Amino acid sequence: MADQRYFEDVEPGDEFNESWTPTREAVIGYLTVGNAEAGNTASRFTSDEEAKKIGMAKAIVPGAFSLVMASRVVADWMGPEGKLHSIDVDFRRPVLHDDTLNILALVTDTLEDDGVPTVKLDVYLENERGERPVQGTALVELPKRG
Amino acid sequence: MTSQPTEATFEYDASVIGVEVPLGTFDITPERVAGYLKATGETNLLYTDEAAAKASPYGGLIVPPGILQTVSLTGAPNAKVKFGNFAMHSGQRMEVMGPIRVGDAISVAADVKEVYAKTGRSGTMVFEVRRNTFRNQHGETVAVSEMSMVHRQAGGG
Repeated sequence: MADQRYFEDVEPGDEFNESWTPTREAVIGYLTVGNAEAGNTASRFTSDEEAKKIGMAKAIVPGAFSLVMASRVVADWMGPEGKLHSIDVDFRRPVLHDDTLNILALVTDTLEDDGVPTVKLDVYLENERGERPVQGTALVELPKRG
Repeated sequence: MTSQPTEATFEYDASVIGVEVPLGTFDITPERVAGYLKATGETNLLYTDEAAAKASPYGGLIVPPGILQTVSLTGAPNAKVKFGNFAMHSGQRMEVMGPIRVGDAISVAADVKEVYAKTGRSGTMVFEVRRNTFRNQHGETVAVSEMSMVHRQAGGG
């Protein structure tokens, strides 16, 4: 299990990251969790041809998939006693199948509103073209030592 | 359709704002959880190891809340925004209120939270925020998800 991270050990400016390459197989796997037929249906998320019809270079990754991958990286960083309260992202550019992505998070604030040890983070996805197609914020609660 | 004239001159169906429509139930089955864990490369023992999860504050296996982002149910209300010639998914938000476990039956209710316009240097954009509220079989809200759609005139304006 991921190490537990404690509120006292976190400071603004702390960063962490993880690489991610969304393959076609992974995208179809993600889509079929909620819709068993999704893998058999040509869409902008599964077919280069369909994506090109709407001006994309190739098939694109569902925005919600990028959101959950960012949330996964944050959750792993928190450890088992951390709680993800919210994550909120904007989509600036499409994420394409097989992009080489770096999911980054940066601690921007630590506070104890109403006694709840809370950490604010900026989250980003960066691609190999130097773009940040996805960026947003997350709010998490971490335990205190003792 | 109820027209809502504004300074940005767009129309939408205001009757759907804040009106929840039940979409159905999303069952948290072992097969769905396994598919989600594989697709996301999730290895957190809270989700994958019964013994480790039992020793955690949750007292047993839980399911990543992101699984609710995969829900694909039809019938969600649509504000039918009439503006511009181009619409795209501009943002996504997830708020997590409680744990989800295998075997849960998650009811999904959808509404349109709001429609609003913003004008900047690149012109006017109209945002429609669609919301899904997820409740477990005990009636507890476990998560809320919001998807923002932006409508604009391609090429500015």
